[in-house]
Amino acid sequence: MSTNDTSHIRNFSIVAHIDHGKSTISDRILELTHTVEERDMEAQLLDTMDIERERGITIKSNAVRVTYDADDGETYQFNLIDTPGHVDFTYEVSRSLAACEGAVLVVDATQGVEAQTVSNANLAMNADLDIVPAINKIDLPSAEPERVRQEIEDELAIPAEDAVCVSGKTGEGIHDLLEAIVFLVSPPKGAYDAPLKALILDSYFDEYRGVVATVRVFDGHVRKGDRLAMMQAGISFLADGVGVKRPAEQLVDELAVGEVGFVVTGLKDPEAVRVGDTLTYQANPCDEALPGYREAKPMVYTGIFPIDNKDYENLRDALEKLRVNDPSLTWSPETSVALGFGFRVGFLGLLHMEVVKERLEREFGLGLIATSPSVDYHVYRTDGEMLEVRSPQDLPDATRIERIEEPYLKAKVIVPPEYTGAVMQLAIEHRGITQDMVYLSEKSVEMHFDVPLAELILDFFDQLKSRTKGYASLDYEFSDYRASDLVKLDILLSGDEVDALSFIVHRDKAYAMARGLCDKLKEIIPRQQFEVPIQGAIGNKIIARSTVKAVRKDVLAKCYGGDISRKRKLLEKQKEGKKRMKQIGSVEVPQEAFLAVLKVDDQ
Amino acid sequence: MVSALYLHIPFCARKCAYCDFPSWATPAADPLMAAYARALEAQLAEAAALGLVEGCETAYVGGGTPTLLGEKDLGSLVSAVRSAAPGITELSCEANPDSLADGVIDALRAAGATRLSVGVQSLDDGELAELGRLHDAACARDRVAAAVGSGLDVSVDLMCATPGQTDGGWHRTLEGALALGVGHVSVYPLQIEEGTALDRRYADDPCPWNSDEVQAARMSDAQAMLEGSGLARYEVASYAAAGKRCRHNMAYWTGASYLGLGTGASSMLSLNGYLRLCDAAPQLPKPPEGTVRARLTVTTGRRALAADPRLAALSASLEFLTGAQAAAEDLMLGARLVDGLDPALVSRARGLFGARLDDTLADLLSRGLLAERGGRLAPTKSGWLLGNELYGALWDLARGEVATASC
Repeated sequence: MSTNDTSHIRNFSIVAHIDHGKSTISDRILELTHTVEERDMEAQLLDTMDIERERGITIKSNAVRVTYDADDGETYQFNLIDTPGHVDFTYEVSRSLAACEGAVLVVDATQGVEAQTVSNANLAMNADLDIVPAINKIDLPSAEPERVRQEIEDELAIPAEDAVCVSGKTGEGIHDLLEAIVFLVSPPKGAYDAPLKALILDSYFDEYRGVVATVRVFDGHVRKGDRLAMMQAGISFLADGVGVKRPAEQLVDELAVGEVGFVVTGLKDPEAVRVGDTLTYQANPCDEALPGYREAKPMVYTGIFPIDNKDYENLRDALEKLRVNDPSLTWSPETSVALGFGFRVGFLGLLHMEVVKERLEREFGLGLIATSPSVDYHVYRTDGEMLEVRSPQDLPDATRIERIEEPYLKAKVIVPPEYTGAVMQLAIEHRGITQDMVYLSEKSVEMHFDVPLAELILDFFDQLKSRTKGYASLDYEFSDYRASDLVKLDILLSGDEVDALSFIVHRDKAYAMARGLCDKLKEIIPRQQFEVPIQGAIGNKIIARSTVKAVRKDVLAKCYGGDISRKRKLLEKQKEGKKRMKQIGSVEVPQEAFLAVLKVDDQ
Repeated sequence: MVSALYLHIPFCARKCAYCDFPSWATPAADPLMAAYARALEAQLAEAAALGLVEGCETAYVGGGTPTLLGEKDLGSLVSAVRSAAPGITELSCEANPDSLADGVIDALRAAGATRLSVGVQSLDDGELAELGRLHDAACARDRVAAAVGSGLDVSVDLMCATPGQTDGGWHRTLEGALALGVGHVSVYPLQIEEGTALDRRYADDPCPWNSDEVQAARMSDAQAMLEGSGLARYEVASYAAAGKRCRHNMAYWTGASYLGLGTGASSMLSLNGYLRLCDAAPQLPKPPEGTVRARLTVTTGRRALAADPRLAALSASLEFLTGAQAAAEDLMLGARLVDGLDPALVSRARGLFGARLDDTLADLLSRGLLAERGGRLAPTKSGWLLGNELYGALWDLARGEVATASC
């Protein structure tokens, strides 16, 4: 299609609340269009990372080209972009939407509209996309497509009489969905002969080919051998190749206006290619860059330290490589007395943090310790200066603090009416202030409240799910900074303060938290040769304590001929376990101790 | 070529609740047992013909329950050991009280056994029932007394931190064993092994009776009471009157080579010994470069072994140790002994590990796990109780994985 004719191209994302079945619908589309033969089909085909498949979630958007022979006798090129559904990755959704003319909004026929359905629908509408509503999971006995259709109209103000009913599981209705995409989604605009203007919507690093950028061409066309420039970065390079994913990578002669594909840059510096930048010809650039992306702002900060201090540089390299396709990652060096050299890394949320830590460990073979998550506190000193404190260690002495402000969120919870009491109770326990409650329908209530981010990142989400039997959905956005009575809680092991275990907590909760944490650490820290006292303190005042008793006996008494190998293997296993621990003073502390604060039930 | 010979009898009248050894419940009349005993005799003859047991000083017939073979087959097997290795001066046989008939004791003595190790475990009927033992305390007393009376050296195995055991019950068991006049006692805290009946019975139980505090206390009590009666601790689990140490077990702990025959039995052979065995058993894999020692565990099943006893028909899993690994293993085993580390071993290790050895030893001294005693480094009381820390640190000296193979 090396012409100006884009009338047969449809670029769309699939957006939904988490678990509403985006990835299964993508799988069925690949099957129905014969992009992937049935025998090669595996579930969640577009989720290429192990973590995505194991957890059944989408973290990274993935763009794939499929060819569809429509009922009108014409052949269409679909560029399908699967997107994440978790609130942490909302920015990833907005990035994908910028490359599309349409969005398939998937809603679960049994669950109806949920918090991220609302957010993602709003993102799509604000991006002026044509929306194709699809009601999924109609094969389930508890499906209520008519109710859900009504909810889509009432709650999202999207006309839904034509909403397509589908089942990602059985494939029912997928054909109708593809027809709806042909008719409802506009073809891309733009001129084939204009200077190249392409948006870099994602990129990844390949050891052999350097940075590979996923692009959407808005004007012009790009071929192998073209000399290109990135407008914001001001870096130029020769395109080593262009191609598309079907879903396996396939080189093509050119990517023309309206198309989505990838460009092999050959650039070895992972930092050179920034997602959101505009790609154009070096000699004949387009007049202005595309708007790019609003930078994703980290919400949560944790210290990430290598267990083995020698891995510090490897950790830095690994973070840089991950940033190529996760531009939301930010970090700065951090030093801990207990853990040595590491980084304070900013994340979009706790799931993002878990995913990044897991990727660092798996893809780069690093053993890491993550410390308690913190938010970005604004600390006003008595001398009038304001400090941004993201790590408890950076908190000035209490006598020099005038006040501390912490970030508050506007949280939105959608829940069946019978659980509003439980949600309000939960909000109160987490210092939340209920703003209002709106009945969306007989069966669902939207509740709004303001809550400190620091409370939300502890166990709020898990608690919300468990207290509402999984019915509640949550969405949130940053609200403002508010003053709070916050203190730094320190933990001492064998009398020595362990800086990496400190965290900032509201004064009213400090005692319960200190007790909970001392008890939790007592469970996590294995018995050692000597007794290990654990203390929680604010300043010089000890407010909680517990003790890990000394191990009394650790020996296999029986050791004859055949037992020797067995015994040695046991010792080796024990040593493997120790490698995952950090020696702090004379105490061996397991990795998970540093995140124990997330496991404390302070209620 | 080997110092010690081990024969494994994988048969029991019933599987005990705690047992994860290679042993199977077998009816007394099962002809498999006689066939298996004949097969071991054939293997022994083949090994002797290779010169493997030349110079062998001790032998041990273990199980399972060797006494389940009965006087005829067991007597015949012990005689075969004697004729294959005439230089043997200590020949032990493991026994369970319920199958230790007078006739068996006599047959063993007549065939040339010198020592009986009786699985008493406890002298409390409740504890014995919990463990799934077939005998009661009275039977154990009676049979041990008969064994002592026969003039054989007698050892008893006792188990602590078992379900239902109290401090008082443990003391009575120890006193009872001492009263029988045995010259050797082995003491084991119960280890709940995966897949055993006890493991299933107590899957969701914190087992306070098996906590490490209870185990530590019982082991310390045992040391106090046994040493008070003249049985000195010479290894983590072993106590003996003067001159009554088990020399066969000492071979395991001092890096001596041994040959093990029978299903599940292990051998430790020098490189030369292993190559000699390979002559008769060409299916055995070639040792990798740098091997100084091979450990071989027989994986041939009891029926297959009875059907075809040729060494050429053996299946086995193997480990090949380098000089460094062998030295680290010897250090680890030496640290189990009251005598501690042999100075000759320490200087061999120093040649291999250099300053790392001294750093490790200094660390173990400073942690109070080792202490200097009579010019040797030997385990302290916490070195006995926290042995895994001690052995782990010594084994770490070797670095690198042990090469394995199977055939």
